[in-house]
Amino acid sequence: MTNHWSDIQNTDVALIMGGNPAENHPISFRWLTKAKEKGAKIISVDPRFTRTSSKADLYGQLRSGTDIAFLGGMIKYALDNELYHKDYVVNYTNAPFILKKDYKFNDGLFSGYDEATRSYDKTKWAFETNEDGTPKEDKTLKNPRCVFQLMKKHYERYDVDTVTSVTGTDKDMYLKICETFCSTGEVGKSGTIMYAMGTTQHTVGTQNVRGFAIIQLLLGNVGLPGGGVNAMRGESNVQGSTDFALLYHQLPGYIGAPTASAKHATLKDYNENETPATGYWSNKPKFLVSTLKAFYGDNAKKSNDFLYDYLPKSSKNHSHINLFNYMYNGEIEGTFLFGQNPVVGGPNAGKEKEALGNLKWMVAVDLWETETSSFWQKEAGSDPSTIGTEVFLLPACSSYEKEGSVTNSSRWMQYRWEAIYPKGESKADLEILHKLALELKALYKNEQTPAAKTINALDWNFGNGDHPDIDLVCKEINGYDLKTGKLLPGFGALMDDGSTSSGNWIYSGFYPEEGKNRAKNRDNKDTGGGNFLNWSFAWPANRRILYNRASADLNGKPWSDKKKVIWWDETNKTWTGYDVPDFKPDKAPSDPGGDDPFIMNKDGVAQLFVPTLNDGPLPEHYEPFESPVANAFSSKEINPAIQLFEGEFNLKGDNKEFPIVATTYRVSEHWQSGTMTRNQEWLSELVGYMYIEISEELAKEKGIKNKDKVIISSARGEIEAYAMVTKRFKPYTIRGQKVHHIGMPWHFGYKGYATGGTANRLTPHIGDANTTIPEYKAFMCNVRRA
Amino acid sequence: MATEYVKYVDVTKCDGCRACMVACKNWNDLPAEPQDFLGSMQSHNNVSADTWNVLQFVEHENSKGGLDYLFRHSSCYHCADAACEKVCPENAISYTEFGTVVIDQEQCVGCGYCVQNCPFDVVQLKTYKDKNGDEYRKAHKCTMCTDRIEEGLQPACVTTCHTEAMEFGEKEAMIKKAEARVKEIQDRYPNAMVYNPGGVGGTHTVYVLAEKPSVYGMPENPKVPTSAVLWKDYAQPIGKAMVGGVTMALVGAFVANKFFDKSGKVGPHDDGGEDHE
Repeated sequence: MTNHWSDIQNTDVALIMGGNPAENHPISFRWLTKAKEKGAKIISVDPRFTRTSSKADLYGQLRSGTDIAFLGGMIKYALDNELYHKDYVVNYTNAPFILKKDYKFNDGLFSGYDEATRSYDKTKWAFETNEDGTPKEDKTLKNPRCVFQLMKKHYERYDVDTVTSVTGTDKDMYLKICETFCSTGEVGKSGTIMYAMGTTQHTVGTQNVRGFAIIQLLLGNVGLPGGGVNAMRGESNVQGSTDFALLYHQLPGYIGAPTASAKHATLKDYNENETPATGYWSNKPKFLVSTLKAFYGDNAKKSNDFLYDYLPKSSKNHSHINLFNYMYNGEIEGTFLFGQNPVVGGPNAGKEKEALGNLKWMVAVDLWETETSSFWQKEAGSDPSTIGTEVFLLPACSSYEKEGSVTNSSRWMQYRWEAIYPKGESKADLEILHKLALELKALYKNEQTPAAKTINALDWNFGNGDHPDIDLVCKEINGYDLKTGKLLPGFGALMDDGSTSSGNWIYSGFYPEEGKNRAKNRDNKDTGGGNFLNWSFAWPANRRILYNRASADLNGKPWSDKKKVIWWDETNKTWTGYDVPDFKPDKAPSDPGGDDPFIMNKDGVAQLFVPTLNDGPLPEHYEPFESPVANAFSSKEINPAIQLFEGEFNLKGDNKEFPIVATTYRVSEHWQSGTMTRNQEWLSELVGYMYIEISEELAKEKGIKNKDKVIISSARGEIEAYAMVTKRFKPYTIRGQKVHHIGMPWHFGYKGYATGGTANRLTPHIGDANTTIPEYKAFMCNVRRA
Repeated sequence: MATEYVKYVDVTKCDGCRACMVACKNWNDLPAEPQDFLGSMQSHNNVSADTWNVLQFVEHENSKGGLDYLFRHSSCYHCADAACEKVCPENAISYTEFGTVVIDQEQCVGCGYCVQNCPFDVVQLKTYKDKNGDEYRKAHKCTMCTDRIEEGLQPACVTTCHTEAMEFGEKEAMIKKAEARVKEIQDRYPNAMVYNPGGVGGTHTVYVLAEKPSVYGMPENPKVPTSAVLWKDYAQPIGKAMVGGVTMALVGAFVANKFFDKSGKVGPHDDGGEDHE
């Protein structure tokens, strides 16, 4: 989230799209309810009328996978009706930047496309530059080659009729939604966009979020209270795990992981190629070297490039769907699965289950035996005699049985204590990792092989117990001044000469001195504007609203008193207010760069046009991998830059055979693949069975009655479920054609109290062009009575 | 009587998360009661001896032709004039100083008159086996967490409600709040109303409903059955005088068919509640 949960109460309009917070992020409704009491409007856009829709003032029906059409139309609406915040757009975004002649867009393709590699040459999307390297601008926004004009041209095609014929939204309702949300472009108002996996789990997931960003920047809603682009995380610590390099292509704190390429061959090469000249990321070498010092301790020296060479470097894509593809092809020997249940949660889960059988060994760390750790058993439909995988199951303890922190969607790192001792032999995952590391170090101690070198060099000093001293782990994350041995006050103190360490630079400052772990802060007093600065620690620097400099005008005065967060105090020559300024505290608005609020970007402004993404600098609608209709916007049916998986691992369905659009989602009572909740009786009695939600009209066509058992099929397989016939799904009219849409929860498997068909047996093995997140949310299926 | 308290339930703020159902089972140590698939998000058709509150889900086409998806926390209403209390032959059911209605499990003989006479279908029997394998029954229902209230805590369902759809407070203040809330939401829900039926002397669960009670399958005008009044105020005292007041359940069994008239009763699901979501 750019903003945070309790800030939602400050909004005037909440657009909830690609998420269903009433059901999946219930606590957000505490704050949405408060906003409503103050007169805020809620808009829900969803394929299905959800519990969120029931609480909304406006509900727009949207076919899964057509978000960009919907948002593109809204961008056009804001531009055509001049509802954007002009001063904000001119000064705080790259709208005035002039593009070079190479940039073109034609029939669904941006310039620089290479069909053979399904990729773009992004140098074709560059800006014209001045002699000092800064982009050329036209602040009147009139130049036909400026971002603003090219964007306007790009979305000219997204007229209301075309958009609603693609999305299936009622035209009047669509216009009402555009009008209501764009009303927040007015100074003194703010609107928030709240989203979740309904936005991201698409072949165009990244560009869906980009669509949100463009709208919020046009309306001047970024950096303001009650504004922002807010991803609601689906798990208590998914924010934290992402911050700590859960993703394959990153080191902690979003430092790009080096790859096996010439530009990353040495630390010098990496720094030269990955460090922007301006913006806060110009400090990247300090972050990277301090990370290496945390990893390798005294072994990391200037003379040995701080052991940069020891970082693993690969040229492959190690995302989930690629890993399982490699596994299916027998290219992976073994795997550790910590709290992972891909046999229920992975795309095309039936094939992922088969892939596990090609491993030599698998270690599963979980609270229960899952569908994954038992994939080889008869009950799983397998023939154990044909599976050679050796499976180890390590019992893990639950969150209540261990100490540590979780970071929520608000970026708040909140410390928790052990409430009860772990049951039986179960252990905290941190202890499991700790013992594994110590054991590996003992095994390699006397070896000189390349593998041994990296393990021997690892600085692993977290006390002498079986359980690591978690306080030492916290301090390592914060980082030390290695000359004095003292804890660092924050990431501003990090150096690139090896004199500082930090395990994760964005968290540096959460533990600034002995005895002061700010993740343990528990003062629930509102310190102003709905911020609670003394409750927990928000990265970075305890900042609650990112880009909050943008809440003030060029002179440092809030755009409106109603929406103030920080402002320039001329008397004391400092930024002050309700939040930690996202700006150099003593940099006056009149100083050079003093009116460039987006300090993480190299040009100091927000990017309406992003020349660095894999699938284009502006969001463009493409149909999902499987779709009921042809693309109305171009002849390019699917995202031209996604990686295609050939062969039986990813069969594609024909929309004649599978004419029904399907999507998946979660319910309040179950969590992810259901391992933790389907083993709880009180939750299992609430949602005990796999079901699909199906409209009355489709039910009638198929002769299905409420509570009937049905079979749902896709090109990948079929599953059984109960039919829940509901008014909350309605048939769509898409490009003049009647299209049915169903939805289903994806929590089920055969283990636990609540059991049922696994929705992901149906979903395709395909992913987004930038993140490779699987397209779980839109695929084609058919339904019949069982 | 000390200060009278009520549970205020504003169904228009409820988002159907069902934390109240789990909190209730947790505090009261009630077992899970898995049901068949009901064809909607609703988990149980009605409250039972082991499930004291049920979140009701109703799909409703409103008067404007739009779709509403309505939720309601349903549990014991704790009537001020409680039929269950009236008909209990063993005086096992009583009012507490807080206005809540509770069943003394020691005194309950499982005769089921309370079950038959509750105008809301709330009280239910549970069957147990004693050490000889003989079956016996006890009546159960929501206690409004009287054991928590006695300790200065709020009912478990109220404590867990994150949208503040529920509140536990002084009766007068809560009723005022409900009336004010109805005014606020009438634009959106023209049929919104306070539900605090007079036929049972008012209840200690006061609802702000988005729609007419019948939409939720609730009785529009619940009443203490006349037979229960007759029983409590006439037959029982006479009977007690006759047989010494010990075995009123036996007398009750004898006279039950004559006195208790079930036909006038409207239960939560007589109005098609099951077909709703």
